[in-house]
Amino acid sequence: MGLIKKVPAFLEPVPGGGIVTTSLEKILHHAQACSLWYMLFGTACCAIELMCTGASRYDFDRLGMIFRATPRQSDLIITAGTITKKMAPRLRKIYDQMAEPRYVIAMGGCTISGGPFYYDSYAVEKGVDHIIPVDVHIPGCPPRPESLLEGCLHLQKKIRAQKLSDWQEK
Amino acid sequence: MGKLKTEEFVVNMGPVHPATHGVCRLMLTMDGEKVVKIEPVIGYLHRAIEKICENRTYPQCIPLMDRFEYVTSMSTNQVFAQAAERLAGIEVPERAEYLRVIMLELNRIASHLIFYGVTAMDLGALTPFLYGLREREYIVDLFEMTCGQRLTYNYIRVGGVSRDIPPQFVPKCREALKIIGDKLRDYEGLLNENPIWLRRTRGIGHLPADLAISYGVSGPVLRASGVDYDIRRDDPYSIYDRFDWEVPVRHNGDCYDRYLLRLDEIKQSIKIIEQALDGLPEGDIKAKVSPNFKPPAGEVYSRVENSRGEMGVYIQSDGTNKPLRVKCRGGSYNQLQALPHFGTDVLVADLVAIFATLDIILPEVDR
Amino acid sequence: MTKEELTNYISSTYGSQLKPLDTGRHDPLFEIEPKDLVSVCRALCDDEKVKFNFLCNISAVDTKEKFEVVYNLASLPNKLRLDLKFSMPYENAEIDSVQEVWSGANWHEREIWELYGINIRNHDNLTRFLLPDDWDQGFPMRKDWDAPDFIRMPEK
Repeated sequence: MGLIKKVPAFLEPVPGGGIVTTSLEKILHHAQACSLWYMLFGTACCAIELMCTGASRYDFDRLGMIFRATPRQSDLIITAGTITKKMAPRLRKIYDQMAEPRYVIAMGGCTISGGPFYYDSYAVEKGVDHIIPVDVHIPGCPPRPESLLEGCLHLQKKIRAQKLSDWQEK
Repeated sequence: MGKLKTEEFVVNMGPVHPATHGVCRLMLTMDGEKVVKIEPVIGYLHRAIEKICENRTYPQCIPLMDRFEYVTSMSTNQVFAQAAERLAGIEVPERAEYLRVIMLELNRIASHLIFYGVTAMDLGALTPFLYGLREREYIVDLFEMTCGQRLTYNYIRVGGVSRDIPPQFVPKCREALKIIGDKLRDYEGLLNENPIWLRRTRGIGHLPADLAISYGVSGPVLRASGVDYDIRRDDPYSIYDRFDWEVPVRHNGDCYDRYLLRLDEIKQSIKIIEQALDGLPEGDIKAKVSPNFKPPAGEVYSRVENSRGEMGVYIQSDGTNKPLRVKCRGGSYNQLQALPHFGTDVLVADLVAIFATLDIILPEVDR
Repeated sequence: MTKEELTNYISSTYGSQLKPLDTGRHDPLFEIEPKDLVSVCRALCDDEKVKFNFLCNISAVDTKEKFEVVYNLASLPNKLRLDLKFSMPYENAEIDSVQEVWSGANWHEREIWELYGINIRNHDNLTRFLLPDDWDQGFPMRKDWDAPDFIRMPEK
């Protein structure tokens, strides 16, 4: 690409040249935040908006996010859609199969508190944070693709604000 | 060498699987790579919509019915509003009927574009997914311009529609239809004569017509098996009898025919929308219906031709402002019921192709 | 055949077993005795003049006094629609399965059994399928059903 040919000419006059100093934390978190691979977990209406966000117009790939079909290879799970009482143990199983560091985005009203199914429904789990710990909640029914992208940017900010000592075994 | 001793084993496909469209679990009994028996296990998305509707007024039920079948939620709005209108004997103004037909057919095109993208993705082709959803964005822009929502519209209300179309709707709609009509040639060129696509879909998953009728299968799956029945023509609702269009029918009943039939349906929908845009009259968009709508006691079963088959709602009213019973019936319920009876004796990869071309949406099954 | 012709034909041919009701608002509605259900359905499906070969829907209704079960039928070759209905009291509610006439009735009847508690005779697979496997709180679609974590919408 043409850009890489211009880099030496740009770096030469800079004292120190091509050496950059930073902390290990910043590099690790930057790498994590810019390549979150999310698990394709869509149960209901929000799954269609998740698909649209991953398609041509609102592209997830420009944030480094690719979908993976298995929890073993993903670090983010976007729970898009209502979780019912029958589905809840399966969601817990999938979350347990993900390797750390792992993050959860609860997308849509149903996963925050049951959404339109809070009253009068005998089979809906009213909020996904009864089952798994959630990092970012995105309201909406269903949330627009722009809301989902903003939620992912919030998650990236949260990752960059973490400390390495958070992951230390206590 | 003597015969090798083999045993059948059970493999679980789902509920979280990239090729089951939603949370459907299929317990497959396999003999090597061949599927011997399929047992669908459902209920992972049972949200009790029917129980909730018994405690909501009629206008409050319509957004709930949106979530019953969210890919074509204009049809769910239409079937519920039509049932309430038949119970109370309400007549819908002309302009509202034309707007309803335009929105229903645009929604049918959007749903078939998702089918095209997702089916191709299930069989390994990733490019059609991006193409299909790119064209769908034109239609979703039109919906957003009219009612503000991209997915669950709550647009068709009892007595008419909720909002009139803005002035830029008609030119943008014609432009979108022209783009989609042109791109359809690209889609056909990409997949129709592709040798890999033909190997994977032609001759796979033959559904005989009498089995389909016995299990209550309807819609494009039934028409691909040779049965010529379409509710828009044979049991007309709204103003479909004023337009000049054809019902596409194919006779082989395999996956390839089901795929081709849906592309044919997109072309017929474009024809209907253009005729509706040409004949759109001026006038009211909603009949006078009180917010505390109380239809007289009675019962009705109303049905529409959805992009997945016959979508029906049975409502029984006891004269109050809340329905006594709402039972929804979706086309995917019967197709999933019929799957174990024609989807066996195939390889697992062929089962994925059959499941994808049936175009099943789980909330219609589980409610 | 128009709706009036269909109503007249059904009344004249099956008049002893089907009685017309007037609560149906769009399609002809007839009342049937539970004991005649399978024989009348088989006759309607085989009758060459009407040929109701498509079962659209089976619904159970809890009207706070009794159960009602409604069958919505369609004839694909003749483009006709018909509804059948019968009622029964709450105690020992039982119906015959019509899956030998239309195979698609299988799952509809399973759902009625699971959510309302109406027993189905001659059904080949009466197992739980919509509710969780360890559900032990009764039949949720009945009007008098309640549970500790069932939150009702507050009255305004």
